[in-house]
Amino acid sequence: MTMTTVIQRAVWVLFLWPYLLTCSLPLDCREDHGSFSRCPSISQEKLLDRVIQHAELIYRVSEESCSLFEEMFVPFPLQLQRNQAGYACITKTLPIPSSKSEIQQISDKWLLHSVLMLVQSWIEPLVYLQATLDRYDGAPDMLLNKTKWVSEKLISLEQGVVVLIKKMLNEGMTTTAYSEQGLLQFDGQPEMLESVMRDYTLLSCFKKDAHKMEILLKLLKCRQTDTYNCA
Amino acid sequence: MAVSSCSPNLLLLLLVSSLDWLSAPGSAFLIDRDPLTSSASLEPHFTECISRNQETFRCWWNPGDFHNLSSPGALRVFYLKKDSPTSEWKECPEYIHSNRECFFDVNHTSIWIPYCMQLRSQNNITYFNEDDCFTVENIVHPDPPVSLNWTLLNISPSGLTYDVMVNWEPPPSADVGTGWMRLVYEIQYREKNTTGSWESLETQPHTQQTVYGLHIGKEYEVHIRCRMQAFTKFGEFSDSIYVLVTEVPNKESTFPLLLVFVFGVVGILVLIMLIIVSQQHRIMMILLPPIPAPKIKGIDPELLKKGKLVELNFILSGGGMGGLPTYAPDFYQDEPWVEFIEVDAEDADAGEREDNQASDTQRLLGVHQPVGHHMNIGCANTIGFPDDDSGRASCYDPDLPEQDALLLMTTLLPGQPEDGDSSFDIVERATAPERGDRPLDQTQTGASQTWVNTDFYAQVSNVMPSGGVVLSPGQHLRIQESGLVTEEETHKKGKENKGGEETEDKNPKELQFQLLLVDPEGSGYTSDSSNRQINTPPSSPVPGEGYQTIHPQLVETKPAATAEGNQSPYILPDSPQCPFFAPVADYTVVQEMDSEHSLLLNPPPPRHSPPPSLTQQHPLKALPSMPVGYITPDLLGNLTP
Repeated sequence: MTMTTVIQRAVWVLFLWPYLLTCSLPLDCREDHGSFSRCPSISQEKLLDRVIQHAELIYRVSEESCSLFEEMFVPFPLQLQRNQAGYACITKTLPIPSSKSEIQQISDKWLLHSVLMLVQSWIEPLVYLQATLDRYDGAPDMLLNKTKWVSEKLISLEQGVVVLIKKMLNEGMTTTAYSEQGLLQFDGQPEMLESVMRDYTLLSCFKKDAHKMEILLKLLKCRQTDTYNCA
Repeated sequence: MAVSSCSPNLLLLLLVSSLDWLSAPGSAFLIDRDPLTSSASLEPHFTECISRNQETFRCWWNPGDFHNLSSPGALRVFYLKKDSPTSEWKECPEYIHSNRECFFDVNHTSIWIPYCMQLRSQNNITYFNEDDCFTVENIVHPDPPVSLNWTLLNISPSGLTYDVMVNWEPPPSADVGTGWMRLVYEIQYREKNTTGSWESLETQPHTQQTVYGLHIGKEYEVHIRCRMQAFTKFGEFSDSIYVLVTEVPNKESTFPLLLVFVFGVVGILVLIMLIIVSQQHRIMMILLPPIPAPKIKGIDPELLKKGKLVELNFILSGGGMGGLPTYAPDFYQDEPWVEFIEVDAEDADAGEREDNQASDTQRLLGVHQPVGHHMNIGCANTIGFPDDDSGRASCYDPDLPEQDALLLMTTLLPGQPEDGDSSFDIVERATAPERGDRPLDQTQTGASQTWVNTDFYAQVSNVMPSGGVVLSPGQHLRIQESGLVTEEETHKKGKENKGGEETEDKNPKELQFQLLLVDPEGSGYTSDSSNRQINTPPSSPVPGEGYQTIHPQLVETKPAATAEGNQSPYILPDSPQCPFFAPVADYTVVQEMDSEHSLLLNPPPPRHSPPPSLTQQHPLKALPSMPVGYITPDLLGNLTP
């Protein structure tokens, strides 16, 4: 198992490194009321590409984190629970299209808003996940780093989407202010397995939603470039 | 508290585990079938659910051991889409009973929403496995790529390996263009017709990839599969394509050309080297010309070597090959006191001389046949020895040389020995040193012959105050005055007559005495043939000049010298004496003649009278002290007893 983790770490580094270089330039455009002038102007296409890159990378890292976590903490018989985890995902209540046909039917606005909702809904749980993973005994640093990285990138993704919405939809949105106190509260010391399952579910759900975000954004891009082909 | 908190967790754990156990018989398709459970009776179960394009999916089921449910319609598929808490089980939207397949089209397919599948029989028996729940994106097995193609990139310099670029198209079912699916591809290749394992390359999202290190001449089989990025389920492999690169023909055709070119260049280089080498020889010859060997026009260079002076002189005298210009006359043309002997061409006595070395002096002297036709300049000469009459084959024929030697000696002696004995002694001694390299072959019958055979010319070695000229015996005889010549002639003839009477003569001295003795005082020469004394004053009056001067000094030591076996008039040098002459130079000066008529070539020290052997050796040793006159060793050879 350690060998696999090593390999995964290597793969993560291999995959992540160019993305880190390319995507490391943060979207520093905080749409704060007073800090708008700080943001360098960027074209909509480039911004969308950047956002899509973020989403792709987030999804990949989240998938790797979930696999890592699954290998390390989740007993084998329970590993398929993730397939059932959709039922317990926190974002199941969000009205997000779930099929290609649905996605093709909704408007760009709805796409962007859907993405934004997803991103904003996962910022806090990831922080919570980060906190819980720290409590694990023998949690690999790679897992912790990945989750940390994902949470950070998610925030920048949110910013990007907000800018996109502003540019494409000419709507002003506010970024969510998250607090350390997550939605999910736990009292006392969580039981290992329960915590593990909970976290496992969390990671699985996040992975799925990250995938969702990526596809939504890509379809949006396709609509922007070639309307006919993406129908 | 911990216990209380633990207990529900434990129960949860147990519940989960039990669920797993319960589902074991109808194990989900998403997990590997436990071998242990295979033995148990199989309920109807789903074998697989697959989505190709993330837009639709299919599920296949198997009735298991329940064969009564194998008929179409016996089992019904129900699914649960967990998109809301109030969702219900719905039946399969589309059955394909031939395949026991349930197809979910686009309208019924939702991504990111869990689906649970269930089989129900006619009598509402549900066969459900919790593990058969999935989300569509997790069951995507993309179609294999299409339109595989390869191009040759390059061939290694060694010509053994090459690289190819394989390119393909994504599966048409996968909507890659819009970004709906993000695919990564994996190439595998192996040698054709081998059962070896496939070689896999790393997955990458591009639709082309380079395969390195394929071997020339081997055929490879290549196929590709793909999967969704960040997902685990690979699709099926594509159809294989075959890659084969054989040896490039142009390389083969150029190879012999290259060989020819290389060999041609090498050959040209070798030629150039040879030319340079040969030219170097020429250059060397130009730079360092060879030292010319001594060469006289018309004369065999062999004769110019040491030891062949006699032949050379003969040739130079014009008697040899004929056609040789006579050098000697030119040599002395401007010296008036050198006179040449006139040759009587009619002298046919020299008939039997097979070699045309019959010099004119021979004919002049009229040496009779038995005596005269010993032409031998030297037995060592290549010229044959035509001595038929006497039967003498050796150079050291006792008959001949005495007379000739004596004759010669008398002519040559620089001083006139007082005693008659000296002549032979001198001759003996003279001949003694002359043996050796100097062919003793001066077995000339008569002194005249020897005298004749040698040369016309004798070098003037000294001129006496009285006017007499001392001739060097050399190859030339010089007669100072014609009178002498005439007198010589007469005397020679007389001698010859006398010599003719004699057989193998024992008195060669007579002739010599007659002819050659010259009184230094100009008393002429002795005409007494029988006189054994060379130094008898010449009977015939001489105009006052002796052309051969014999130092009286030589006579002194004579007596002892003559003791050597000079009794015999034979002057013929014995063969043992021949080598004795070897070290002698070409010319030896006759100093005196002793009473034994032997020539003393070297003036012995006045104090002692050297033994004959010594006297014989004297000429060898005291050569440098010879004041006047020279005797060629060949002449000396004849003179020795």
